Order: sequence, then structure tokens, then C-alpha cells
Amino acid sequence: MRKHFIRSLLLACCLLSLSVAEATAELVVVVNARNGVAVMTRNEVINIFFGRYRQFFNGVEAQPVDLVDGHPDRGHFYYGLVGKDVSDVNAYWSRQVFSGRAQAPPRVNTSEEVLKWVSSHPGGIGFVELGKADARVRVVYELNP
Amino acid sequence: MRSDSLNSLARLIGGKWRVLLVLLLLGGQVGAEETSNLSLNGFGTLGAVRTTSRDVEFVRDLSQPRGAVDRWDAKVDSILGLQANWRLNPELEAVVQAVSRYRYDKTYTPEISWAYLKYDPTPQLSLRAGRLGTEFFMMADSRQVGYSYLPVRPPGDFFWYLPFYSINGADASLTLPVGDNVVRGKVYYGISEGKIPYGQWQWKLDGSAMVGGYLDYQLGAWLVRASYANIRFNHNMPIVDLLTARSLPTPIIRQVDDYLAAANTRSHYYSLGAIYDSGPWQLQLMLNKITQGSEIFESSSAGYVLAGYRIGQVTPYVGFSWIRSEKRGPMNNPVLDPLLDVIKAESHANQNTTILGARWDFARNLALKAQWDGIRGEPASIFPFREEQDAWRGKMDVFSISMDFVF
Repeated sequence: MRKHFIRSLLLACCLLSLSVAEATAELVVVVNARNGVAVMTRNEVINIFFGRYRQFFNGVEAQPVDLVDGHPDRGHFYYGLVGKDVSDVNAYWSRQVFSGRAQAPPRVNTSEEVLKWVSSHPGGIGFVELGKADARVRVVYELNP
Repeated sequence: MRSDSLNSLARLIGGKWRVLLVLLLLGGQVGAEETSNLSLNGFGTLGAVRTTSRDVEFVRDLSQPRGAVDRWDAKVDSILGLQANWRLNPELEAVVQAVSRYRYDKTYTPEISWAYLKYDPTPQLSLRAGRLGTEFFMMADSRQVGYSYLPVRPPGDFFWYLPFYSINGADASLTLPVGDNVVRGKVYYGISEGKIPYGQWQWKLDGSAMVGGYLDYQLGAWLVRASYANIRFNHNMPIVDLLTARSLPTPIIRQVDDYLAAANTRSHYYSLGAIYDSGPWQLQLMLNKITQGSEIFESSSAGYVLAGYRIGQVTPYVGFSWIRSEKRGPMNNPVLDPLLDVIKAESHANQNTTILGARWDFARNLALKAQWDGIRGEPASIFPFREEQDAWRGKMDVFSISMDFVF
């Protein structure tokens, strides 16, 4: 009886994570079109968004932008990038901020604001759905499920 | 209207909090504008803890004069912190953090735990000067931010003995990429602050010089760190007060105080740590070794392992920690040794702790935790505790619940 419950719980978790993974398929990381960076590795993207190292390989300082918690893309992005829940990411930032090490990227409300930020900052970097990436930005990393 | 009610709240609370609340209010208003360079954040924990023993009092670390026994107690883990960050320009930032918690003098008097200027001339280099949190062990500088870690409190066997929270000084860190991995080194120097309770007296840390550094290697989901620090104490433990209260003759007091002197002795802290943080998994392994220069402290080695696995909103975790300290030899003075043995026994620790708990991220920026600590040690293991009685046998269970928040 109990075993059965645990099994269905695990199954539910698997299904849940599958559906989340599917939704991440469309998200891409974009940089300013004039940046000169053409492609990035997963670790390079993680380093920038988690404040570990905020510089592109060509020397341009990275200026990442994030979305507000309520935006569904935020959860999908971090789940696809590091397999982490948004609350894990927030806990990580509370450690960085309250130990004075690094500030979290500024947060905007919509994907359009992400594109505006990225195109108006030389080192701008953000994430949007693939279909929304236009000529102002360049896709440098695709989140694989 | 809003500011009126906040002001009257501030008046109620009084003291330094008033300034911070006004700042918070100001921040709320400034924050509404788009070009805000001032950000205000806070963190806190409401915690309750009880043990299964009346023979010792359980404390979070040695900065606390009294602790919890077999009744629910909120003072051990509860804490409130506020932080203001002011960005003056892209390279320069000013940060002030104030914290209120149960401290050495049995009050919750707020203290300025951080107040510094941070200058980042390049993405690689970061320089800070002012009052800084000490980071001589991995994560030691975020010990007070419960929301940022998995268990209710940092594993005690590793952190109990470190009541040093801040220095007035400077640090420099350099971050360099190695392929798509990251290497980070940091050095710091400063003068310590604060007091540590000792019986009814206090040991002054002010004026004690601390110097240290560490090297981090971030390899994908792994973060590995080696660190070293030392502190040169400026004051003796309050042995004179202790012995004077017992009406011992002055020459004996002087001899004992000299023999157990902490002033001008140096303690060395070595540590190795590894963190694995990927997907639902969080793993930590830490080892430390402390070499004490003064006869009054025992040198020790300690460590812990902690593993958590997230399932939906809940992350169950399990851990194991330990501490061993080495008893010091006698002075070989037949008159003083019996007295010295009693005083030196206070710094002995030999115990293991099994940790079992769960963190529930039930709402945005809020976490509930419940934890059991099974402490199993020698009856002589009394350094980690307060108010130990003769009946202490070295074993007890500790139950904790806490709610952590950040804003």
C-alpha cells in the first residue's frame, strides 16, 4: 500500500519534470547583436547567470538580465540550465547577496524588456523563447531538454 | 499614511532599528523609481529548539551565553538582519548590514555586522574595505542566513567553535577562468570585534588580528576550496575574574593566568571543502583542523558530510558531523595542576552528531525546516555547551523547527 503510494509519487514527479523539460526546449540565451560572441557553452552561461564570472571570452563585461519570479520562463530557464527549482536559485542568491559577494542580475517583467536590456547594453545577456529572438540580439546558446 | 504607521512602528522598536526601518521605507519609495541604485534586503529566522537533557544547555555557537534545555526555546536560532546596498557607480558599491540575535550579553542588541565599500575595477578583481564578515571556513560568512542553506543551522561540530563574525579590515579577490571552469582566490586582513561569554564574564576579541585566504575551484557543479586563516588574540580569557571570584591568592591567580594566557598567542585554521550542487542533489563535505597556540584551548579536527535531495517543494537531508580535540599535557606543577585541569577541561570536545531533517520551500522566499540532531559523545565533551552539570553523559537529542525568510 505504502510502496504503491511512493511509486505513484515518483511517477508523478517524473511526469512533472518531463513536462517542464519539454517547455524548456524553446528557450535560448541571447546577447547583444554587436557583442561579437557567436556561441557559448553551458558552463559559460551558468558562470554569468550565477555571478561566478561575468566576462565574455572576448573581454566584454557581461551584464545579465533576469525575469521576475512570476514569469514562467524563469523557472523553465533555471530548470533547463542547472536542474534547479526557482527557490534553490533564490537561496543561492541570498547567500551571495548577504555575504556581499555578488549582486543578482536585475529582473524585468517581460521578454520584450529582456530584449530591450540586451540590445541597449553592450554586454547584455538574457533568455527568451526562440521565436521572440529578433535581429537586435544573437542566439548564443540553446537550452536542450 | 503608510509612512506614519511605519514611523510609529519604528518608535516602538526604537534604537538602531529605527534608522534601518526609515531606510527601508525610503528604499521602498526609491525602489519605485526606475533608476534606483539603493536596494534594501533582509533575512531572518524564527526558530524553536529543545533537547532531551537538562545537564547541558545547547547553543548555536559559543557566542551565546545560555542555550536550550528540554523545553522549546526561541533564542538559539531566531535572528533578523537588514542590508542596504548602495551602488555609487558600476564599479563602486557601499553595503551596510545590521543583525539582531541573541548575543554574548543575553540581549538582542542590533550590531552592524557588515559596513564596507566594494570596488570592482575589472570583472576579475574585487576589493573591499570596512567591516567584513569572516569567511575562514567555507560558507562561514553566510552562517546567519538560514534561508541560504539546507539544515536549520550550520553543523555545530564544525562551526560551534567559531564565534568570530566580523573584522575591520580589507580583502581582495581575484577570479580567473580556466576553460569554462573558474578559479577564485581571496586574501583578507583585519582586526576582530566582539566578545565571547565565559561563565558570567566575557572574553574580549577586539584588537585580535586575523589574516587568511582561500582558493576556490569551480568545476561545473563542483566547488572545491582550500583555506587557511590565523588569529592572534589580544586579550586573555577572563581567568583573573574567575579565580578572583573564588578568592584564590593573588600569586596563584597570576601564575595560572600567565600559564593559560591567550593574549599574543596564535590559532591556525585549516580547512578543505567540497560542494556538489546540481539538479535535485546538494552534497557537502568539509574538514577542518584548528591548531591552538594557548594552553587554555585544545587543538581539534572536525568535519561533516551533508546530503539533500529535492522532491517537489521538499528537500529531505541527512548529515553526519564530528569533532575531536586533543587533551593537553600537565604543567607538572603539583600545586597548580588540579586547578588547571578543571579550567582546561572546559575546552574538550569529542563527539559525533547525526542530522536528519527536511526543508520545505512552501512559498516564495519562505522555508520551513524540521530537524533532529543526535549528539553522541564522551561525558567530557563539554566545550560545545553551556552550564554543564556533573550528570552530563555526552548524549542527547536536539529537535528543531524553523521558518527562514528573505525579502
